Amino acid sequence: MLPFLLRRLVNSIPTVIGATILIFFIIQLAPGDFLTSQLLNPNISKEQIDNLRRNFGLDQPLIVQYFYWVKNLLQGDLGLSFAYQQPVLNVVAPRVLNSLYLVLFSTLVFYVIAIPLGVYGAVRQYSIGDKITSTLMYFLLGFPSFFLALIVIYFILQIRFATGWDIPVGGMTSQNYDDLSTLGKFLDVLKHVAIPAVVLAIGDVAGTTRVLRGQMLENLNADYIRTARAKGVSEFKVVYKHTFRNAIIPFIAGIGGLLPALISGAGFTEVVFSYPGITPMLLDALNSQDLYVIAGFSLVGILLLIIGNAVSDILLSVVDPRIRYA
Amino acid sequence: MKKAFFVAVAMVCASASAAPFVWPAAWSADAPSAAKKGGELRLSTISDYKTMNPFTSAEAESIPGRLGTGTGLFTQDPRNDDFIPYMADKDPVVSNNGKRFVVTIRQGMKFSDGQEITADDWVTTAKIHMDKAVGSNSYSSFYLNDKPIKVTKLGKYQLQFDFPQVSSSALSRLSYTPWPDHVFGKVYNSGGAAAIKQMWTLNTPVNQIVSPGMWNVDSYRAGERTVFEKNAYWGEWNKDSAGNALPYLDKMSMRIVSDVNAGIAAFIAGQLDQIGASTADQLAQIRRAVDGGNLKAEILANVSPQASSTWITFNWNKASDPFKQKIFRDVRFRRAMSHLADRDAMVKLVYGGLGSPSYFSLYPVFEKAWAPAGVPRYEYNLDAATKLLAEMGFKKKDKDGYLVDAQGRRLEFNLSTNAGNNQREGLMRLFADTAKKVGVKVNAQPIDFNVLVNQLTSTGADRPFDAILLGLSNGANIWPFGVNVVPCSGNLHSYNTSGKCLTSQEQLMSKLYDQGDQELNIARRKTIAGQLLKVESELQPVVYLASPNYHVVYNSRLGGAYPRNLMDAYYTSRTQALTFIK
Repeated sequence: MLPFLLRRLVNSIPTVIGATILIFFIIQLAPGDFLTSQLLNPNISKEQIDNLRRNFGLDQPLIVQYFYWVKNLLQGDLGLSFAYQQPVLNVVAPRVLNSLYLVLFSTLVFYVIAIPLGVYGAVRQYSIGDKITSTLMYFLLGFPSFFLALIVIYFILQIRFATGWDIPVGGMTSQNYDDLSTLGKFLDVLKHVAIPAVVLAIGDVAGTTRVLRGQMLENLNADYIRTARAKGVSEFKVVYKHTFRNAIIPFIAGIGGLLPALISGAGFTEVVFSYPGITPMLLDALNSQDLYVIAGFSLVGILLLIIGNAVSDILLSVVDPRIRYA
Repeated sequence: MKKAFFVAVAMVCASASAAPFVWPAAWSADAPSAAKKGGELRLSTISDYKTMNPFTSAEAESIPGRLGTGTGLFTQDPRNDDFIPYMADKDPVVSNNGKRFVVTIRQGMKFSDGQEITADDWVTTAKIHMDKAVGSNSYSSFYLNDKPIKVTKLGKYQLQFDFPQVSSSALSRLSYTPWPDHVFGKVYNSGGAAAIKQMWTLNTPVNQIVSPGMWNVDSYRAGERTVFEKNAYWGEWNKDSAGNALPYLDKMSMRIVSDVNAGIAAFIAGQLDQIGASTADQLAQIRRAVDGGNLKAEILANVSPQASSTWITFNWNKASDPFKQKIFRDVRFRRAMSHLADRDAMVKLVYGGLGSPSYFSLYPVFEKAWAPAGVPRYEYNLDAATKLLAEMGFKKKDKDGYLVDAQGRRLEFNLSTNAGNNQREGLMRLFADTAKKVGVKVNAQPIDFNVLVNQLTSTGADRPFDAILLGLSNGANIWPFGVNVVPCSGNLHSYNTSGKCLTSQEQLMSKLYDQGDQELNIARRKTIAGQLLKVESELQPVVYLASPNYHVVYNSRLGGAYPRNLMDAYYTSRTQALTFIK
């Protein structure tokens, strides 16, 4: 196992170097820079914009900017955000943490719903319950998550009007958050995170449930299951020990993507629920071409993807005894 | 006699030393007796704060901007646009032909940490803003034609400002927010610009932030909410007309709502007190909630036009295509283009009826005060346009129905605006459609914003575009013309950036701009503005189209708004000092 991991580490070095080059120069392909929009301000002089461009190092040739960035990266510095005038890591960290609450909760809800539904659909194939969930899943497959979120917000407003309950329509904490006790704070965040997390999870459940159901069915009809049943293995063991374990192998292989997904936020759901996660900030940075925020954050995502893939390879060998790394 | 004189002097001194600023009762639609104390004003903003540092902050909505609410030596009275002494004790003493201002500072003002606000704070603040290495957004306002404004301390409570030339915006320029010398001065002297840039970031504990103004930071939650609490020391020198300390509010919170729909939803749910609704659709949503009895809110639509302009500019620097360059430089062509702009249809179709037509570089919100009646307007008139184009030689139409000149060259140009801006794309398409009616071929094309800006601000004899549709905003009503826009040397002198004036009218406009900019008397400034607008309109270098309107929407629990006649896009709808929760 150790030589395998070492080999992985060495292999990942050219990948990361390639990634830095791609990230940096693809961002630069976009026309203009952080200061371009300032040119349209009738009161800011061209001289001042040139002065700022010098201060930010944007007047240097691209290749010089790149090597400057890499040099800082090697010292563990992701660069400076133009908009915040702060190191990228300081700016990004609190937002990533906020996103993490939402994504963790939603991932939990996601598996709690997706796995039983998938298994149920396979074990009770073509039952009324299976048909209802299948129909529902097909509907959900067609909904983009932000649209589902907008619909949910509409209904929350209607429920608020009808009942007067204080259901949060966005944000992460209530107005009086700072006055609450520790438990109260926890519950307050939970209350705010719950709705977007469930919306996010339900939006994603559809695809996974369908795939899991298909995987389960394929394995349930396999010869080794018939053999197991003939040997008199209990039905519970047949489903959960023999079938399920084989059916989830493709999902384990996909866990590598989960690690970067944890930090990269919940996408437009965050925007629609005005949740203080990383997405609104990244969109801001993209819009204003805050170069190092985008580059630094993308690089962290790639590093996590490399680590995540190594983790999922290890997990695969645990779940599937046929896989061995020599 | 002598004794009476001393008594009089003593009385003047006493009233001068401790007199608070009294907020005129006329600035609120509610009497001071109606005001209740306490409560929180809940507002929202679209993107997160970037810093707490007043010297690196670059955005219109910022934490330092909020801390600076209720500061400045002078402040503008929305009733008559006059500057009245605010942190200054009385009107300035002007000498040296209008270039020297000696200002006496009001005594008894304190920062939120209890330290007194004195002349040193203004001197240090100016020094740091004027340091190029700091990169302050206020840098330009301390320079006139690259020459600095000199700020000198004459005494603990007296300042002297020396301007390199007479400036109409002098009082506005010297009304910057004073930041504490005891916080920034030492750091700047020992560490310079680099040390200043490290101060007051979003990670700085809020109890280290010192505010000169109405608000103090209470808490900051990244990407979520910033809460401000009232600065009690500010209330010592700010009173309402009944003598009560201001502000009435205890707190003010800014919630970050990155999506407009989410903001509207929060307002409808009663979680926000005020919202900047801009489209007919958004106003309708709020109206439905009010009509359904689910929300109590005041909706004032079309309060005034916005302080912005949208226009089409034609490129005069097109050496590579002499035919087009000749057309674009022909005043008859540009007047014809103005006749082709169906501004009423633009307002109706693009802004849903919530907009105002515009004809000048002057923002329509300032038109009432600044544009005299006699200024020519080239209004929508297809016949007039056809006639002007015929005079230029475009009499016949080709087989596709487009106008051609005697040599058979078609009247055709490209027009671009920034992709993704639905309103501008709508204006562009509407213009292209009307132009087609008289036989002008307009190839309308949305392109990336930054590409567009680079094309527009490119310089030289051959610039890479035909015509661009864009907009401008920002600016004050003191001398409501852009320093980058009107003079020939400005980088937003969009039709001709060759650096030289190409027509006598441009020369005259540059001259009138400088004249107005250096005129301290507002009545004379308005006369000059009238002359400038007349020249501009006749030359029609840029065809102005329309602006969206400004609407005021707030929860009915708020009191203390401006009387309706004082509200507009420039002065907005209320002062926070006089705002209260019913």
